[in-house]
Amino acid sequence: MKKRLPTILKFIVLALIMLFLLFPIYWMLITSFKTNMEAYLYPPSFFPKTVVLDAFISLFSENNEFFVYYFNNFLVSFISALITCFVAIFAGYSIARFNTKWSKTFVAILLSSQMFPIISRMISLYSMMSNMGIINTRLGLILAIVAAQVPFCCLLLSSFFINIPREIEEAATVDGASRNTILFKLLTPLVTPGILAVGIFAFLKTWDDYLHAATLIQSDNLRTLSVGISLRYLGELSYDWSLINSISVVGTLPMVLVFFFFQKYMVKGLVAGAVKG
Amino acid sequence: MKKKYQKLSDNSYSFVLTIPATLLTVVFIIVPIIQSLIMSFQKYGVKNIISGKPGTWNNFRNYTKLFESNQIPEAAYHTIWFVLFVIMFQFLIGMALALVLNKEFKGSRFFRSIMMTPWVVPTVISGLIWMWLFQPQYGFTKYFISILSFGQVTDLAILNNPRTALGGIAVAALWKQIPLTTLLLLAGLQNVPKSTLEAATIDGAGAIRRFFSIIIPYLAPVIKITISMAIIENFKQFPLFWTMTGGGPNGSTTNFAILSYREAFVSMNLGSGAAVTTMWMIMMIVIVGLYQKYFKVQDLS
Repeated sequence: MKKRLPTILKFIVLALIMLFLLFPIYWMLITSFKTNMEAYLYPPSFFPKTVVLDAFISLFSENNEFFVYYFNNFLVSFISALITCFVAIFAGYSIARFNTKWSKTFVAILLSSQMFPIISRMISLYSMMSNMGIINTRLGLILAIVAAQVPFCCLLLSSFFINIPREIEEAATVDGASRNTILFKLLTPLVTPGILAVGIFAFLKTWDDYLHAATLIQSDNLRTLSVGISLRYLGELSYDWSLINSISVVGTLPMVLVFFFFQKYMVKGLVAGAVKG
Repeated sequence: MKKKYQKLSDNSYSFVLTIPATLLTVVFIIVPIIQSLIMSFQKYGVKNIISGKPGTWNNFRNYTKLFESNQIPEAAYHTIWFVLFVIMFQFLIGMALALVLNKEFKGSRFFRSIMMTPWVVPTVISGLIWMWLFQPQYGFTKYFISILSFGQVTDLAILNNPRTALGGIAVAALWKQIPLTTLLLLAGLQNVPKSTLEAATIDGAGAIRRFFSIIIPYLAPVIKITISMAIIENFKQFPLFWTMTGGGPNGSTTNFAILSYREAFVSMNLGSGAAVTTMWMIMMIVIVGLYQKYFKVQDLS
């Protein structure tokens, strides 16, 4: 008896928190399969009475501007993640391996630049990029986004490089390998889990971006997902909630797939990055 | 055998490797931040962008106007209220979940994995999900609360009421952030030595005593990092506010992020927006600094 009560209490806590975390997902899923008539039923129905694909069909046919934003989001997120990985390999190795005066300053720059709010940067980047002629282009957007990911990602990857024993490098130097050969041919393959963590992290963060795109992009055909959704499908007096929930499902799906497929690397990376960074 | 050396010295090679990251950080973060500090003392509007003319000094007018109209104090109040509320519950709920999931039981692995789902939902979409749950006519929470209160409260409209709107956004923020907190605390719990816990149990320490005297001290470094990450994240929160309420109703959810965005990109008064972000950053630096100073921990592991 003495042992049973805490166990029951534990499962109640677990059940309540898991309900809080997962019920909204369930609610989004079932609403997207309801007719609008049923979505506007009060009291609400907990299982769709008739499962319909109306909302998804309308998303693919009438409201397919969504897929322009979707494609742009993929493109921008993928390229940003790729560039971030390269930059992080260079800088992460440099931080982990060399202890020069500059590298201390460099780490201080990275740490402090994580704190600044995006809007503060965008206020002057908006006029800076207008002058440089890269406002309202994918190039400008990607550069601004990559810069925002770089500080955390460099520190994250350096925590992977630091675990490689130096003897490997020293042995290769004796064998006559150049510095670039050591870094790219020898060490980079050894930190593949770290590079995956950085890439996925940068991809997830860019997929989630709102402010960079909201301020730097004005043309509808260049807009990314978050801004596109909020400008096109919100703000009218009557929302089409089945459609909005189907958009939410399609917009979340790639992230869920990416995360659960690479979960092992992500979890390790997040923990390493947060604790070291 | 003669030892071989690299052609490039350590100093120059390590410097060359940091060039791309430095360039990106300096050009797209450091310089814009400094420039927006300067702009906060200038009259700088949409005309300056079109003509490319620099802003003109306006004698602290951006600041005095924002303080006179009480906008900065209100934004500060909303921001801090939101940060404190979210962090407190995030920590309590995240810790409870981490403690439960730390024990192996049937399905514990499955729960550890599936609980991360809200974290990968894009922020704007989390806002949409919660707007739909909070919907004032057909929303789930209206129904849920009316049942919980035995039919007493039937007109719940969380996001439309100035007294509850901020709390509604905080719930959405909690939903999205609790998973990461739990994940980090779970990782920290792995460092608590089992032998110490067992020894304490044999000596007669109860669960509560073990929690405060052993688990918390070992977990302290992870707790410190988790909370400071949460402070920064919630201090900067923008997309949830912007999609869920846009700062309303009646300005009751206007935090620093919303105020600066509205000043700079809706009213196109970039100088005034920069003044808001300057106050915002000063406040953030002070709070994070105080936190780091008063929350010192010893690393036990």
